[in-house]
Amino acid sequence: MSTLSLTGVSKIYPGGVRAVDRASLEVRDGEFVVLVGPSGCGKSTLLRIVAGLEEASEGELSIDGRPVTHLAARDRDVAMVFQSYALYPFLSVQQNLAFGLMHRRRVRGVMSRLTGAGRTARRSERLEIDRRVREAAEMLGLTPLLDRRPAQLSGGQRQRVALGRALVREPKIFLFDEPLSNLDAKLRHEMRAELRQLHRRLRATMLYVTHDQEEAMSLGDRVVVLRDGVIQQVGAPIDVYREPANRFVAAFVGSPAMNFATGTLERRGDRLHFELGAIVFEADHSRALGIADGAREPAVLGIRAEHLAIVDSATALSARVDTVELLGDRAEVRVESAAGRWTLRVDAARVPREGAETKIALDAGAVHFFRTDAEGARF
Amino acid sequence: MTAAPTGALPLASSSATPPRSPRGTSGRKRSLTGTLALYVLLGLGTSVMMAPLLWMLLVSLQDEAGAMRATASADITALIPERPHFENYADGLRRLGNGTWAGFIDPLANTVIVTALVTLGTVLSSSLVAFAMARIRFRGRNGLFLLMLATMMLPAQVTIIPLFLLFRSLGWVDTLLPLIVPAFFGSAFFIFLYRQFIVQIPEALFEAGRLDGLSWLGLWWRLVLPLCRPVTAICVVFTFIYTWNDFLGPLVYLHRPEEATLSVALNSFRNQYGGVNRLNLLMAASLATMLPCIILFMAAQRQFIRGLGAGAVKG
Repeated sequence: MSTLSLTGVSKIYPGGVRAVDRASLEVRDGEFVVLVGPSGCGKSTLLRIVAGLEEASEGELSIDGRPVTHLAARDRDVAMVFQSYALYPFLSVQQNLAFGLMHRRRVRGVMSRLTGAGRTARRSERLEIDRRVREAAEMLGLTPLLDRRPAQLSGGQRQRVALGRALVREPKIFLFDEPLSNLDAKLRHEMRAELRQLHRRLRATMLYVTHDQEEAMSLGDRVVVLRDGVIQQVGAPIDVYREPANRFVAAFVGSPAMNFATGTLERRGDRLHFELGAIVFEADHSRALGIADGAREPAVLGIRAEHLAIVDSATALSARVDTVELLGDRAEVRVESAAGRWTLRVDAARVPREGAETKIALDAGAVHFFRTDAEGARF
Repeated sequence: MTAAPTGALPLASSSATPPRSPRGTSGRKRSLTGTLALYVLLGLGTSVMMAPLLWMLLVSLQDEAGAMRATASADITALIPERPHFENYADGLRRLGNGTWAGFIDPLANTVIVTALVTLGTVLSSSLVAFAMARIRFRGRNGLFLLMLATMMLPAQVTIIPLFLLFRSLGWVDTLLPLIVPAFFGSAFFIFLYRQFIVQIPEALFEAGRLDGLSWLGLWWRLVLPLCRPVTAICVVFTFIYTWNDFLGPLVYLHRPEEATLSVALNSFRNQYGGVNRLNLLMAASLATMLPCIILFMAAQRQFIRGLGAGAVKG
């Protein structure tokens, strides 16, 4: 298996637009890394650079330590699953699966005929291709469909064929470009689980692009959050969720989005005081290690919906319930308070009435403080 | 895709679109007079197209005197032969070219060679050039494409003399080469046709091909040609029929009787005064030489329809 290394990779389009800006990333052997970000953040461009479909304007790429920056796509030994599946419409499923291997065999066949190499070698190669196609078809449940054309398959089946086509190649690195986004919600959920299983089974190095943060969180060993071509944070999904590097990551990762409020942060010894108009929240120093003792700085407080609670305390923040959205066992409650419009996640059994006046409390151990500048880095 | 909105006034359909009727029912719902009018129109068109063919067929079955009568008389009934002379076909074909028996073999062989190679060359070169024009980004691509299209505006007759001089300087006059070789350098019209089709193929297919190890030429051979089958069918039929029936090209470049193609060989029925000897035999030979074109067109018709269907579900 293989490692992938990107060093300072940029893609600059004519006109000076930087689609990818000095991206550096190490993907370890057998790791499942997900590139995630809003549309236009450069994640697909980065993937295509790795695939060799686009050339990097700056920076270096290497696979298994071998530099591949200027290598053609076909010489990189990577396989890609496309969003549109990109199956060859005039070939059967079987032929689609075998296409890449057959082509390479043909090329080698011409070479061996020129050099007079053995017939048996070519025959065994043919058997090997058959074996791999059968195996992949088995693994993905495509065996009964092998003689069909792509036009005769459902979306989910096409998606499997696209996956199978990458599998049979046994490439060094698998690349996925939003492979699930054309499927309906239920199927997407199933395929996600299958992909995860597949990765566990193959232990292959995979690089996966999605705009869906939930997908990223559930699939990746590590996720890479991108914005405007710049890598914002790289880490395990849970770390990115719990310790977002900046306000953008905090807002992008997690659903519902994190709640924010702008105020002033002050450190007194090992206590933090966050003033929001007349209201003051307290947290301990570990929530914002980047602030000096006695310093007073404008800051943005961030807190996730599940770390807010409706309480019966006079000192808590007053709020008015705006809307309630029931989601089975739990509910999302949108409230209007002095801090702004916030979303809470509460037990479905204890849902307040819409329009009711209520008090909400923050979990002091789960607040985040970010700078107010454009970058919005964590304190 | 949609059925023609028969009988619906455009004004009425602008505000509320009526539910789309399933395919086929709109034809059944069409009023009787409408159907009748359509058939009369189609029938008229067909008879205009078929009349010369029918005339050829009838004359080809006459004896020589009958053929003369049929052409001279204003009486339509004179066209109908007293007794069909099917031997005219064997006779007519024998008199084509100079061979001692079955004289048509030589011109037929020449025509087959020229037509096959020209068709092959046109398909291969036009699709290859079109692929480059559609998918490879290079400086001056659009300018080149426009220049190529501009050559379509030039009447073929204008280039006859310069081309003849060129081929003469190459020593190719009195060989089949001037008829064959240009086809391997693409035809502007078919390049245009292929290009328009290739532009619509999703880019991801080519990217998948590149990752599967294909070079540009590999993409062309393994993806573009199979995907462009409907265009190729059109290209084959048109090129075949045009080349098979081409008279001017062979007439200009081929001067020895044994090199003649069928269309030129047919000309040997003309006498030195510009008239035609044995009109019945000429018509018989002409009809016989048309056969391959008719067969090909019928065979390709299915491919056209299948091609249209395959294009719709592509992707």
